[in-house]
Amino acid sequence: MQALYIASTGMAAQEKNVEVISNNIANMRTTGYKRQRAEFQDLLYQQLRQAGSQTSDSGTQLPIGVEIGSGVRIAGTSRIMTQGTVEATGKQLDVAVQGEGFLQVSMPDGSTAYTRDGSLERNASGMLVTTDGYQVQPGIAIPDNATSVSISAQGMVEAFLGNSTTPTQIGQLQLSRFANKAGLQSIGNNLFLETPASGSAQSGFPGSDSLGTLLQGYLETSNVNAVTEISDLISAQRAYEMNSRVISGADEMMQSTAQLR
Amino acid sequence: MNNAQLISLSRQVALERQMDVVANNMANVNTAGFKAEQILFGAAQMPAAQAADMPWQDQTIAYTEDWATIHDFRNGTISQTGNPLDIALDGDGFLAVQTPAGERYTRNGVLHLDSQGFLVDANGNQILSTAGPIRFDASETDISIGKDGTVDSSAGNKGQLRIVTFPDNQQLLREGDNLFSGTGAQLATSVKVMQGAVERSNVSGVSEMSELIRVTRAYTTLSKMIEQQNQLSQAAIQQLGTLTTA
Repeated sequence: MQALYIASTGMAAQEKNVEVISNNIANMRTTGYKRQRAEFQDLLYQQLRQAGSQTSDSGTQLPIGVEIGSGVRIAGTSRIMTQGTVEATGKQLDVAVQGEGFLQVSMPDGSTAYTRDGSLERNASGMLVTTDGYQVQPGIAIPDNATSVSISAQGMVEAFLGNSTTPTQIGQLQLSRFANKAGLQSIGNNLFLETPASGSAQSGFPGSDSLGTLLQGYLETSNVNAVTEISDLISAQRAYEMNSRVISGADEMMQSTAQLR
Repeated sequence: MNNAQLISLSRQVALERQMDVVANNMANVNTAGFKAEQILFGAAQMPAAQAADMPWQDQTIAYTEDWATIHDFRNGTISQTGNPLDIALDGDGFLAVQTPAGERYTRNGVLHLDSQGFLVDANGNQILSTAGPIRFDASETDISIGKDGTVDSSAGNKGQLRIVTFPDNQQLLREGDNLFSGTGAQLATSVKVMQGAVERSNVSGVSEMSELIRVTRAYTTLSKMIEQQNQLSQAAIQQLGTLTTA
C-alpha cells in the first residue's frame, strides 16, 4: 500500500510549510525582512494503464488511463520581494529604500552583501556602518565636527561641518539591483548574497535606472502580513492533520488484513 | 478457492489503489494549480465454467477492476498574493512551459525570473509566449500581465502568454512537478489572466476525508467477509468430514 508513503510526503511538506510560516511570523518586526513562501509540486505518476494504448485489434484505444501519483514535494521557498511599508523613526541615519535597490555592505571577508535594512550607524572612526558594524559601500566617513547629516533621495550625504552655514558633500550612497532579486541567497542578519540565480548586481546612484530612492528618517518594515500568515498557518495545520488521518486510515486497512485468520 | 473470496480480493486491491489516489490528493491539498484525481472502477466479467443443463444456470462472476483515473479540472480557489509574478488562470486553459522533454502545460502560475531574466517556473523551465520564451532585461521594471495574457514592462510590450486548451482535457497525462503533457493544444480565447493571484489546489478536504472513511470501511468490511467465508469453509470441512458411527 503506497498511501502510507504518499501521506507521509504530505506531512513532511506541510511541516516545512509551517516552518516557513513561523519564520515569517518571527520576523514580523524585522526591518527590511521579506516574507518567504513555500511552493509545492506533485511527484511523479505511476501509469498503470496508459491512455492511448490499443485495446483491440480493430484499433480502439483507451481514452483515459490509470495514473497513481506519489505525493508532494517542496519545490522551493521563494521570497516575496514586495515593498514593505515605511515607518518614520526620526533618526538621522535611518534610510528606507523605496523601489528595487539594495544597500551594499562590505563583509569582513571582503565580499559584498546586500540589504534592505537601512538602520545605519557611525562607528568609532566616523564611517557609516550597519548595526552589525559592517561598512556601507562606498565607504562614507562623517567628520567628527559634523553637526547635522542629511541624506537626499539620490543618496547624496551632506553635513554641516563646524560652524559652517553651508552643507559640505561627504559622499553619495549607492544601490544595487538584480534581474531576479527573489533568487538572492539569505544569510541572516538581514543580508543577502548574489547567486547565479539572481544575476549580477547592477549598481548605481539612487534615482537612476529604476534603482529606487532613499528616504531619510524612515525604515522599511517587514512585508509580512499577519492575517495572511495566520490563515496560511491554519491551512497548513489542517492539511497536516488530514494527511495524518490518511496514514491512520491506511494503517486500519492493513491491520484488518493482518488480522485475517 | 471460493468465488466470494476472490471477488472480495479484487475489490480490496482496487480499494488500495483508491486509497493511494486519496492520499495523493490529500498530500497536494496546498499545491498551487493542482487538480484532484478520481479513480473509476469497472466490472471485469469472468467467464466461469457453466453447466447449462442445471435447473438454474451458473452465474458469471464480476471482479472489480480499476478502469481509469479522471482529472477534476474545476477551478481551484484563487487567492490574492500581491506578487507581480503570480498569475492565476480563470477558465479552461493551461500555461505552456518549455521543458527539456518538449512543451508541457501547467495551471501553476507561480512564476519566477532566472539569472538571464527569462520568465520560468519553479523548476527553471521557460514559460512560453506565443512567440517563444519571454526575457526581461536587467534594467526593466514594472512587469505587468494583462487579462488577456499580454506581458508588459517598462520597456514596452513583451508578447502574449501562450495559453492553450485541449479538445479533451481528460486525455492529458500527469508528469509530476505540476505539469501535464498532451497533444492537440490550441490557443485559448476565453481565459482570463489575473496578476497577483494564485490558483490554489482544487482538492476539497471534506470530500477527500469522507472518501477516505468510505474506503477504509469498505476495506475492513471486505476483510470481515473474507474471514467469514473462511470460517464457513472451515465449518463445512469439519462437519462434513466428521465420521459418524451409525
